[in-house]
Amino acid sequence: MNLKIGTGNSLRQLLLVAAAVLLPITAISAEGDYSRKGADTCLSCHEDAQTAAVFRSKHAVPSDPNGPFGHGQLQCEACHGPSGDHAGRVRRGQERPPPLRFGSDSDTPLEVQNGLCMNCHKADVGVGWHGNAHDENLACVDCHNSHTASDPVLSTATQAEVCFECHQQQKSQSLKPYAHPIKQGKMDCSSCHSTHGNDNDMQLARMTVNDTCYQCHAEKRGPYLWEHAPVAEDCGNCHNPHGSNHPGMVELRGPMMCQGCHSQAGHPSIAADSDGLPGASPSMLLLGQNCMNCHNQVHGSNHPSGSRLMR
Amino acid sequence: MKTLSGAIALALVAPAAAWADVDTSDWACEFCPFEEGYTADMGVGATYVSDDAARFGNGLGYDEKGGYANLDGEGRYAKDGKQMRWAAEDLGLKSRVLSIEGGSQGQYMFGLEYRELPYRRFDTTQTVYLESGDALQLPSAWVTAPLTSGFTQLASSLGSRNIETDRQILKLNGEYLPSSAFALFADYRRQQRDGVAITTGSTYTQAAYLPRPIDDHTDEMDLGIRYKAENFNMALAYYGSYYRNGVDSLTWDNPFTSFPGADQGRTAVEPDNDFQQLSFSGAYFAEVMRTNIVFSAAMGRGEQTATLLPYTINPTLSPPSLPVSSLDGKVDTSNYTFTITSRPFDKTRVSLSYRQDERENKTPVSMWSRVITDNVTSGDNEFNTAYSFKRQKLNLAASYRLFDSLKVSAGYDRRQLDRDYQEVAEQTEDTGWGKLDYRPNSIFDISLRGGASRRDIDRYDTDIALSLGQNPLMRKYNLAYRYREFGELTAAVSFPSAPVSAAITVMQSDDSYSRSELGMVSSDEMRVTGDISWAVGESTSIYLSGGLDSIEATQLGSQDFGAANWTANHDDSFMHAGGGFRILGINDKADLVFDYTRSEGETDIAVSRYSNAADSLPTLDSTMDALRMSLSFTVSERLAATFSLRYERFKTSDWALDGVLVDTLPTVLTMGASAYDYDVWAAGVGFRYRIGND
Repeated sequence: MNLKIGTGNSLRQLLLVAAAVLLPITAISAEGDYSRKGADTCLSCHEDAQTAAVFRSKHAVPSDPNGPFGHGQLQCEACHGPSGDHAGRVRRGQERPPPLRFGSDSDTPLEVQNGLCMNCHKADVGVGWHGNAHDENLACVDCHNSHTASDPVLSTATQAEVCFECHQQQKSQSLKPYAHPIKQGKMDCSSCHSTHGNDNDMQLARMTVNDTCYQCHAEKRGPYLWEHAPVAEDCGNCHNPHGSNHPGMVELRGPMMCQGCHSQAGHPSIAADSDGLPGASPSMLLLGQNCMNCHNQVHGSNHPSGSRLMR
Repeated sequence: MKTLSGAIALALVAPAAAWADVDTSDWACEFCPFEEGYTADMGVGATYVSDDAARFGNGLGYDEKGGYANLDGEGRYAKDGKQMRWAAEDLGLKSRVLSIEGGSQGQYMFGLEYRELPYRRFDTTQTVYLESGDALQLPSAWVTAPLTSGFTQLASSLGSRNIETDRQILKLNGEYLPSSAFALFADYRRQQRDGVAITTGSTYTQAAYLPRPIDDHTDEMDLGIRYKAENFNMALAYYGSYYRNGVDSLTWDNPFTSFPGADQGRTAVEPDNDFQQLSFSGAYFAEVMRTNIVFSAAMGRGEQTATLLPYTINPTLSPPSLPVSSLDGKVDTSNYTFTITSRPFDKTRVSLSYRQDERENKTPVSMWSRVITDNVTSGDNEFNTAYSFKRQKLNLAASYRLFDSLKVSAGYDRRQLDRDYQEVAEQTEDTGWGKLDYRPNSIFDISLRGGASRRDIDRYDTDIALSLGQNPLMRKYNLAYRYREFGELTAAVSFPSAPVSAAITVMQSDDSYSRSELGMVSSDEMRVTGDISWAVGESTSIYLSGGLDSIEATQLGSQDFGAANWTANHDDSFMHAGGGFRILGINDKADLVFDYTRSEGETDIAVSRYSNAADSLPTLDSTMDALRMSLSFTVSERLAATFSLRYERFKTSDWALDGVLVDTLPTVLTMGASAYDYDVWAAGVGFRYRIGND
């Protein structure tokens, strides 16, 4: 990465000037000169722990030629912009011009903030960042903390807390009785979702819902001799991966869920009610695993006699 | 030397902002406290768990009463441009995590992570089976009977068998940057599972719950190269997944009086499978109208060539030979995506995207002669079905910032799904939506989204339905015509001067399957969530959060293979409410963290047959109270102590399990699992010591 724009390219300068005219960037105050001594100038005032923490992060590795603190790079001002005015003298009563600030509540346009991050992290976020919902509405720092040794959103144990700040419905679902081990901090959202975006539905980590589920449930992939058609098509036909009131994170309780599709004459279509409870006439069509008391191979069977998913 | 002002440079906001040239030769960074040398926090602790509870240990490993010793920590080493970081979590538990990453940043990086994940389902289950590899044997004194009530040796044969698995996950990853434009990456993951799950073995009209052994692993790898230029980036990648099952089949003794020769049954388990995929993706940014173009193409193949089991192990039956010894299953997949996003005018953003996912099942089709549950030959010839489908999706969306405070968006989506061998061959879904984002000031932020979608089908092929034995009036849940209306409101408020923020989200979605005479006919869902947080001071914060989720669904069925004569109404609800606080730096010595959540799930199902009054099944109910508290105390600059308390009470009522003992069902020998009911606390004390540089 090279943060600098080359010199002597008049066409580029023309384009830049044209872009500057076209875009109303009135809120950016970080124009002007750079500081005299880079980070040393900044640190002469900013002695706080939050500022110092950046030196425990990956952003402050002087041996990384592409990092902000690599040789010849712009140090603090690589991200916070030219801060000569901010660091310079101000008249009594005059507000000190702020450097670039980050976050959704900053005056700096999101695309400027994120564009700065993309200078280095374009390849890290993949090809789908531009245009996805996060790109449009979030600053990188809404999720990431660049001034820390351990960014919470990059840790399995703490990532969901960051995502749940916005995705409240998913947080609610994760608390349901049957859910993936999100609330225990043993699984993260990015196990299934590409948070930086891609072209996949729901920004899934893999191309399709099933491909994503197969990452951990590869035994369901098959192909099986006897396939269960809705399973091969979409795991979400039966399961809610964010959580459910029912075992297996299924959408409805059996046997009714199965009866949403199966209507063959005989036992598949018999209504299951309280007559089948233990105190009355305990029914294998209702109790235990109901339909799966016999048809246990609901994800497919590879047994030559398994066409009814019983082997 | 500065060639451009920052403001002009900032105008080049996409794909990235850039700064000007500047002479940094005097930027010595003398006062920069770069991390050099070694530093680490080492933790040691002990936890006491008050009771046995499988579910409490799910994911964590605290499933048994007693004491647990624990080690954790994290450390960093940096010298001469090389870094190494490690972290350890719960090393004394079945949920242990150990990770190491290092390298020379900007040149190469590598990482290793080992993680265990315990899944604890039941610790109340019992079985009569003696496990011997992939065979389950009854005790020698077992006396078969046609019904469970006749199992005279049942009580003396039962033994406890927990249903639990442990997953071990090993990840290795590396990245090499030969230049600032290229990156080579390689990720490898192995997930291994072992333990016991429940399956069932049926013998026509009877069944037995079986503790099936789990012993399998999956190897996955991602290999590829990424390239980035100023306005373009791309990636070429390979993905491979290789699943291997250490168990070939499961054989069990039939506890019931059996057909001749059917004193044992045998079932297949998940076969080994391979999947490989090659993908190419890229993005291009054109400065003309600030246009982003993103595309990807992937082609994959899945294969399954496991040796097939025989039709039956019943020695008295002589079914014909298998048509093939191995399925030789093949599935080809392809995925293509294309998205273009542009800003033709400053306040306008438009996007168009198209994707296509195809699964082409090339598995050979053969004729099979089924033996029914190892009991009798069916006498029927049947053919396996190789299901294929193609899914296409088109999205159009546009947004316009009407005022600084108001953005208006609208979009149209069309999905098309083409299948074979199912009742619906062509299915389309059209969705129109609109959205308002209103932010009048820095305090309020409101967004309102709503729309409707119609899922239509070319026709429901009742000939296919009848060939599958289905009632021709049935409209399967995922194949039926559906009309959906949906809306979502999100409102947030935050006061910069008084650090209080609150947010609420309300979502409603109503589905109508109005053309279905049988099957799901309606499903309405509503979700409400809200939270409020208050930063009382620099070191103290309080929060409250809650949510409500409700699904009401109605389905129709027919017991007589005719018109609907029964109805099931589902009322599924879930609520949670909680709160907590954090007080950090109490007397510069202590941090106190407290969280409490109560959640309640309820499902009522009312079934009415013919014209009878609705018959309600008992409420499926689950209630959880969860509390977590920790107090960290700084003893010295390097030493800290932590006291932690985790409490969980979880109680469920579940008619599928309540009162269902191993022999409650006359024709099913279950494992007698009980509904969850526990009340457990785990109290721990730990110490952390910092070594190395400050």
